[in-house]
Amino acid sequence: MNLDEELKAALRREDPSPGFAQRVVARTRSKPTPRWAMPRLIWASAIAAMVVAGFAGISEYRQKKAERAGHEAVLALQIAAEKLNMTRDKIGRWEN
Amino acid sequence: MHRILLTILIASSAAAQLPGQLRITGLDGLASKAKESVDITLDSSMLQMAGGFLASGGKDGNDIKSLLVGLKTITVKSFQFKETGQYRTEDLEPIRAQLRTPGWNKIVSVQSKEETSEIYTRTEQGKMAGFVIIAAEPRELTVVAIEGTIDLNDLAKLKALGVPSIPIPNQKGTKE
Repeated sequence: MNLDEELKAALRREDPSPGFAQRVVARTRSKPTPRWAMPRLIWASAIAAMVVAGFAGISEYRQKKAERAGHEAVLALQIAAEKLNMTRDKIGRWEN
Repeated sequence: MHRILLTILIASSAAAQLPGQLRITGLDGLASKAKESVDITLDSSMLQMAGGFLASGGKDGNDIKSLLVGLKTITVKSFQFKETGQYRTEDLEPIRAQLRTPGWNKIVSVQSKEETSEIYTRTEQGKMAGFVIIAAEPRELTVVAIEGTIDLNDLAKLKALGVPSIPIPNQKGTKE
């Protein structure tokens, strides 16, 4: 047998045995998730949740801080205005 | 050795203080004697945050915010006492000593037998850079120190804005 015939024989088209496709599909479905994939997924979810919670917490903290600063600023200016007006009234009374 | 350390400490604290910046000291012990007290210190970053918060409060909020724009710090210490004689005139001396330094001018001083009201201002390049009010009454002592530019006429109008009195957490009593 020469080389051409040997190659033809080796590369000859052959149909798969009956049920080959079903066996492949069944095997693919039954293939377990790799051992490393689950912990990675859990870790990624946990980190994502922590990042979201962290951002929400920082935002809430900044909002509360701004609210408190706003209230304190109003109170401080109120007291300043009250004492300024009181002093002006005293001057007014004194001049009259 | 202790004296040297003390001198270095005083010198470094003085250096850390900006020129003309007032420190309200000598009143710390009064809070425990007071039936109501207010102690507020807001630096520029807090004032910026306050401005942001107040901007969402309609016209009055914006009017107050506009007052805060030129300010660097606000310090308010106010004490209301049940009885007279709970503080001494000398308690104000550390503050008055700072107000006698160059840059500060006493523009108003109203004194009666029992009450004293003083207003001091500090100017920089012809502009008001700070002002202090000391109001000493028999049962109330208030010191307000504001650094930055503020129009006193605008400040005086603040009461007309109808700003509600807001209780502040962690303050002793509630200022009326």
